[in-house]
Amino acid sequence: MIHKKGVRLFVTFHTTADAMAFERACRTAGVDGRLAPVPRSITSDCGIAWETEPPLRDALADVIKRERLNTAGICEREV
Amino acid sequence: MKNFFRRNWLILTTGFVIGVIALALGALGNPGNMGFCVACFLRDIAGSLGLHSSANVQYFRPEIVGILLGSMIAALAFREFRGKAGSSPILRFILGAFVAVGALMFLGCPLRMIIRLGSGDLNALVGLLGFFAGILVGVAFLKKGFTLKRAYEQSRVEGAAFPLAMLVLFILSVSGIFGTFLSSEEGPGSLHAFWAVSLAAGLAVGFLCQRSRMCMAGGLRDVVLFKDFSLISGFAVLFLTILVGSLIMKGSEFSFSFAGQPIAHTDGLWNFLGMALTGWLSILLGGCPLRQLILAGEGNSDSAVTVLGMICGAAFSHNWGLASSAEGPTANGKVAVVVGFAVAVLISVVCTFAKKKEDN
Repeated sequence: MIHKKGVRLFVTFHTTADAMAFERACRTAGVDGRLAPVPRSITSDCGIAWETEPPLRDALADVIKRERLNTAGICEREV
Repeated sequence: MKNFFRRNWLILTTGFVIGVIALALGALGNPGNMGFCVACFLRDIAGSLGLHSSANVQYFRPEIVGILLGSMIAALAFREFRGKAGSSPILRFILGAFVAVGALMFLGCPLRMIIRLGSGDLNALVGLLGFFAGILVGVAFLKKGFTLKRAYEQSRVEGAAFPLAMLVLFILSVSGIFGTFLSSEEGPGSLHAFWAVSLAAGLAVGFLCQRSRMCMAGGLRDVVLFKDFSLISGFAVLFLTILVGSLIMKGSEFSFSFAGQPIAHTDGLWNFLGMALTGWLSILLGGCPLRQLILAGEGNSDSAVTVLGMICGAAFSHNWGLASSAEGPTANGKVAVVVGFAVAVLISVVCTFAKKKEDN
């Protein structure tokens, strides 16, 4: 995925393993996005976030609930 | 390209400032090509506390205290200071100890590796290849699900305890109270800039690294995992700054070479393996030695434990003759690095596949 400018949605994680598991779940569920370094303006334990489009927030919430995924937070940032 | 500079101006600036400060510290008295070296400086601190008996490498390095406090000040100022702990502290201690063993086989942490490279030391290029190889192995385990488990929130007092304890020890060492801190009269430990200059340098580097998230292991991890060159660009600027500075300061005496470089040896295999171990373990720990100091300054006690592990590992390295010298690696050091790889395999495998078993 090419780095897009504008407002993006970031999901952060406590551990890299959580980030990897999140990527697998999103791929399986067909939710668009990518793992990326956490922007400096967001604090994160592992330095890796899931970056996607803000309108996909609800779809992500469904995946998190259904797969019981561990996340640290969800926020939007201008990149 | 313009967007790249706009997004990464802070990390690029950090690389430049660290480069200038490292050159200045070298000119003001620090050992050759050692304006900064987290592993060497922690080893010197271990010596000054009497944890090892190598008389040539004992000095309570103010740069380390400065980095911790600079990070703490930045984290407090930007509301990022949080007490955290609970992510496999004993495993982190052990991994930290072997990071020191690997770094002292090579004679430098990843930061000094770049400083050595920019100063013309081609042994550091071999070390860099080893470090990258170690990163690749570590990333492979990350992809398979390696985890040291998450940290949990602790009090701010817990988070501040380690940086403040180091500050108290530093004040004691400078003031001469009790007179118990050891200080080398010859060798690398005797070479240092005036303590206030070193402390100020550490403060600046700690502050900037906290804001920019500078990390050599994280930078290479981002390159491998995401093809993202943001973090590593800081080290590219650091290399160029040291290179240009060395060319100006050394003039015609500057040359790229393997032999005759300060505080370095020319055994390529063990330079490679030492930094491969350091790279692998840094990925497992979530950051290079510099990043561990920065996180410890932000209130992360797991990183503080890792730093304590590095201090302990450095002490063992000198008590048991594991650390290399300009003459080359020691037999004990080679055994220790092999043991380090065995420990890396064991912890990597258990913390990758045991997790999956627990999940199932």
